[in-house]
Amino acid sequence: MNMFEKSKQNFIIVVALLVLVILFYLLNPNFLNEYNIISMAQSLAPYAILGLGVTFAIATGGIDLSIGTVCIASSVVAGKLYTDGLIPLWSTIPVMILIGGLFGLINGLLIAKLKLPAFIATLGTMMVSRGLSAIIVNAPNVFYPTGTWFNSLFSNNNGFPSGILWVLGFMIICMYIMYKNRVGRYILSIGSNEEATRLSGINTDKYKIMAYVLTGLGAGIAAVFWSSSFVTVASATGSGMELDAIAGVYIGGTSAAGGVASVGGSVIGAAMLVVIRSGLNFVLAKYNVSVNSTYVTYVLTGVIVVFSVLIDILKNKKKK
Amino acid sequence: MNNVILKMTDITKSFSGVKALKGAALELRAGEVHALMGENGAGKSTLMKILTGIYERDSGEVEVFGEKVEFQNVKESQEKGIAIIHQELNMMKDLTVAQNIFIGREYIKFGVFIDDGKMEKEAKKLLDYVGVNISPRKRLGDLTVGKQQMVEIAKAISHNSKLLILDEPTAALTSVEVDDLFRIMKELKSKGIGMIYISHRMDEIKRISDRVTVMRDGEYIGTVNTNETDNEEIVKMMVGRVILGKTKEKSACPDDAPTVLEVKNLNVGNTVKNVSFSLKKGEILGFSGLMGAGRTEVARALFGADKKDSGEIKINGKLVNIETPEQAVSQGICYISEDRKRFGLLLDKSVTENSVLASVGKFTKFGFIDDISARKEAEKVNKKLRTKTSSMSQILRNLSGGNQQKVVVARWLIKDADIFIFDEPTRGIDIGAKSEMYELMEELVKKGKSIIMISSELAEIQRCSDRVIVMCEGRKTAELPIEEATQENIMKYAMMRSKEGIA
Repeated sequence: MNMFEKSKQNFIIVVALLVLVILFYLLNPNFLNEYNIISMAQSLAPYAILGLGVTFAIATGGIDLSIGTVCIASSVVAGKLYTDGLIPLWSTIPVMILIGGLFGLINGLLIAKLKLPAFIATLGTMMVSRGLSAIIVNAPNVFYPTGTWFNSLFSNNNGFPSGILWVLGFMIICMYIMYKNRVGRYILSIGSNEEATRLSGINTDKYKIMAYVLTGLGAGIAAVFWSSSFVTVASATGSGMELDAIAGVYIGGTSAAGGVASVGGSVIGAAMLVVIRSGLNFVLAKYNVSVNSTYVTYVLTGVIVVFSVLIDILKNKKKK
Repeated sequence: MNNVILKMTDITKSFSGVKALKGAALELRAGEVHALMGENGAGKSTLMKILTGIYERDSGEVEVFGEKVEFQNVKESQEKGIAIIHQELNMMKDLTVAQNIFIGREYIKFGVFIDDGKMEKEAKKLLDYVGVNISPRKRLGDLTVGKQQMVEIAKAISHNSKLLILDEPTAALTSVEVDDLFRIMKELKSKGIGMIYISHRMDEIKRISDRVTVMRDGEYIGTVNTNETDNEEIVKMMVGRVILGKTKEKSACPDDAPTVLEVKNLNVGNTVKNVSFSLKKGEILGFSGLMGAGRTEVARALFGADKKDSGEIKINGKLVNIETPEQAVSQGICYISEDRKRFGLLLDKSVTENSVLASVGKFTKFGFIDDISARKEAEKVNKKLRTKTSSMSQILRNLSGGNQQKVVVARWLIKDADIFIFDEPTRGIDIGAKSEMYELMEELVKKGKSIIMISSELAEIQRCSDRVIVMCEGRKTAELPIEEATQENIMKYAMMRSKEGIA
């Protein structure tokens, strides 16, 4: 895919996102009130960063199912250390990132060195991270403080959704890694043809591991934003989050078969999911539909994922 | 029997503005084996895809059994009695022979149970009709490729096919299996079935076909009777010029050239046994032998692609440790596989990306990949190699076999490798591009590169090598100077089986 096609594809999903926003606005103008915009921007951060991270695993032709539970595990373990007075608040940040990276490393080693299928390896770490963190924490919830620098820096600074700036920053970093650095180039090559890449003298195992470490780091960083914006974090949760994030990546145009990745698309895909979730709430409320909006969100998201990937497949078919 | 069962006239077909077929034609009679020849990209497969309904033609006429047809899909052509036996077999390895033959139209008993017994009985009848002795109960994957192909032919016959298309059916067959296939084809001939036979192998065309139709650049060039035409004439029709396969008379590499590579007592499992050899600067060292002699295994172990059990490798006199392709490449060795699609190319990536894949580091400045200078370098090297591509951002999938091969060579030229291992350098490449490949190898050694060339084609070995190593059953059986590398000599050593087994 060349630059032109890539930007064309990004353009299409941006338009789709705008259409959705306008549609929800027309159905219920309240959708675009100041408070809701901030709230949407705030909840975008953890999902978008999870998505940015897992884009690397998917680009190799793999998958990482553990990102949701690893994200929550990092948050609750660091939070427990903090509430027990073992570490100061600032050091929860490196602890969360470290835990995420560690799980990424484990995934990478299982997949690249022990040749486990990515689906199975990360299904395992998903369960392990969920259970293990709950055992360590030994409490139903951990609590992060409210109204501190921690919250204003990562989620809400006097009404400004500071998370959104971080997302843009991380997106640019990920674009650099994916498109302008050897690591991303090799990750995409592996997704395109792993054996040919290896026979070109590239240490494919190393770069595959790096892809999963980047994905894990994404989960750890997402935990920082999750903790600062939701404050109360329930242990042994987080499953389901990974599917939302992965859905956003597919909607964004990254190929599930690997080799083709759209970093910007992953952020837009995540934004689309956030808009749908919030927009449906407003629409259903306005028209007094007594259906839980979460369920409708699932239905709509599912349909969009299938359609966006389907369009991609049909496009490729036509090319051949 | 002179009744025409297929007549395709003046077929044209374009893909996004590029004309793939312009005035293609083909005529097939009942009971005839009709060879369809042409270089890769001449339009043979496109024409066959139009015949079977995979593509729609832009213009022209197709007449099958005297009836004008306009197939919309494969099913319609199947119903008319046309079947295609693909190069890559399209069957289920884990099902039995009978289950494969009757897939999609299984016999059912009591309304709900698949009647395997009846299917096996019917399959047996079909296999007997075709003239092969295969148990219908066998798991398909346990049969040799040749036998699997015969099952596919039986399957086609069971669909009442009267017109078979065989697309390079012998590519993966041993010579005994080829004999078997030809026997069956003759059997089918006598039953009035017409066959279109696509192959690059001249000797087979001579043996089996009645007529030959040649295509070039999407055009119909001509149809000739096989027994009235000699090979050179057919090749001339295909390429539009005469190619002479000359044999190298003496080594072009000076005796006192320094040794760049020394391999001592290389062992890999059961496939490579105690192989030692050396390679000089500016030399083309040919590796000859039959299929499964262990030549590719030597190359892959030397390159670090597979694990070796033991063996010493010296480069420029220095002992080196090569466990991975990464280490081999850092020692200046590169390996160009016969299976480009699996082991060489990123098919969905551009010419530039494929060309610089091994040297991304070279184009990285301050942590940023400099795509512009990468493209310039790729353009420069590919121009030198005369790679035919519409642009540097063209996807590799859209290039012909020969040009794909050149892009892989470009990759290693950009990496500045010193030792090139070519594994079947011209497999799947058409005749015109073949001689270009030979010239390319000669240019490489002139520049001081050294080449190991594995080839199953004796003519290729004789044309290119300065020295020839012959292998059989994992052992090196001979090392011949090019003057002594006659076909008889090479074959003698290629079949020199070990006597160890007796003791």
